[in-house]
Amino acid sequence: MVSQSFIGLGKAQQKALGSPDLPIAVIPHPFGTRSREELREIAAKAAGDIARLLCEAAPASAKVAAAAPTVPRAKLVEAPSDLAELNKFYMQRRWGDGLIIAPPTREAVERMLRHTNRKPDDVVATIAPGMGAATVEYIAIQGVMAGCYPEYLPVLIAAAEAVGTQRFHLQAIQSTTNPSAVWLLVNGPIAKWLEVNSGAGCLGPGTWANATLGRALRLILLNIGGALPGDIDKATQGQPSKYTFCCAENEEANPWEPLHVERGFARDANTVTAIGALGTWSMNMTAKGPEEVLAMIADTMQYPASSDYMYGGAPFIILSPQHAQLFHRAGWSKAEVKRRLWEQSKIRAGRSKGSEFERMATGRRAELGDITPDSMVPISVQPDDISIIVAGGAGSHSVFVPVSAHTRSVTKEVVLTESGVRE
Amino acid sequence: MSSNSSTSQVYDPVAPCLTLPRQSRQTLNSLAGKTIGFIDNSKPNFNLLVEDLSRELIEKHGVKAVVKQRKRSASQGLSESLMNELVSQTDAVITGSGD
Repeated sequence: MVSQSFIGLGKAQQKALGSPDLPIAVIPHPFGTRSREELREIAAKAAGDIARLLCEAAPASAKVAAAAPTVPRAKLVEAPSDLAELNKFYMQRRWGDGLIIAPPTREAVERMLRHTNRKPDDVVATIAPGMGAATVEYIAIQGVMAGCYPEYLPVLIAAAEAVGTQRFHLQAIQSTTNPSAVWLLVNGPIAKWLEVNSGAGCLGPGTWANATLGRALRLILLNIGGALPGDIDKATQGQPSKYTFCCAENEEANPWEPLHVERGFARDANTVTAIGALGTWSMNMTAKGPEEVLAMIADTMQYPASSDYMYGGAPFIILSPQHAQLFHRAGWSKAEVKRRLWEQSKIRAGRSKGSEFERMATGRRAELGDITPDSMVPISVQPDDISIIVAGGAGSHSVFVPVSAHTRSVTKEVVLTESGVRE
Repeated sequence: MSSNSSTSQVYDPVAPCLTLPRQSRQTLNSLAGKTIGFIDNSKPNFNLLVEDLSRELIEKHGVKAVVKQRKRSASQGLSESLMNELVSQTDAVITGSGD
């Protein structure tokens, strides 16, 4: 049963789940705001549709395969040589993100494939919700289209692995009405080799690696995951970070261990972390006291329409080097900062109203028991579910990054060829 | 802008889905005497819609009983154990997507 606006997603799920004969009953959209009387009318109509669908034979068009499909190689097509016409050709087929693409020619893709020892038809991951096969070759095609340098391919392979894990729960990110973007964070020496910006303006424009790596991941989500905006990607507005969202951690300015070391990787390992981010909230804090700055971050984390509080989340804090140093000089470890933030950011449940309060009460019941409007609800199940990194340049700005419901960030190692990064 | 009719070969970037299509639908002869399962996706009003649908299916279509399972949230699947329990108790299962 789907509401009218979600028919495209429902049909895509039939295919992705391998159930082309699954019947779909359609109800009016939206139903979440309907009155009790309207719901009764919708139910009366839908019950008849359901009864009919459950008793009728599957349509002849629902094909059932006799054998598992083989992993295909990507197909070459004839397209206009003129760049502007080529871009029209791609956009007419919804093969892009709306920005100009570089032509994924055989030569360009082969040049990129030289930067991995994996075979072109190796399936790195299946990408929800369309469950497209992210082969090495298809990943390289997206990289070329996004303008990536060939040596970026291992980063993209690791990124596809990360978003394809069950823990990351890409299904929820790709088809939600939330503005969920995927933020790619690079750690380790490769950030310097590839010149991924971790300093001033690292989440803004002006750096080739940040711009094209984040964009290539978006093209993976679109062209391999099938998250066509409006049809499958149901984001009500979306956000600009869905074009590109990538930076490195500023490890040199980090007084603590960087994220990948905290997660069990060697300091000289190269990793990417995929994070299902709902946005970036700047926190301008010129206060000199660590307690004052921490209290302001904790206050910013609290907002009643937050899915972090609704279900117990895994938010990120990007500390500026200035604020990280402030906390470090106070003798606080990263774990201590997390613990203080977790304690001080508890929100009064009653700030969520109506059905949102009910959702919070349902979402946190298993963990917190019965919730009343006066219950104090933490942003995450435990302090360590809050991740802290250091990034950016000079300035008194840190960033709060709320995350999409039920997604957990995933870190994967970047595997390089023996010849290294450069061509 | 001048038009250029020459062409070149480039890749189609859309990757195929390799999920094996299978027959998952089992048609019922009628709903009379059957037990229907609902997975309540926990979206606002869905529990009320399920309540109304249950009554309609029982009163007008001969359904014997309805079994409901409510998900913790819309974006999480029902646990495998609860799904198996629901399947073992019912003749057909209905869930919802949307707002």
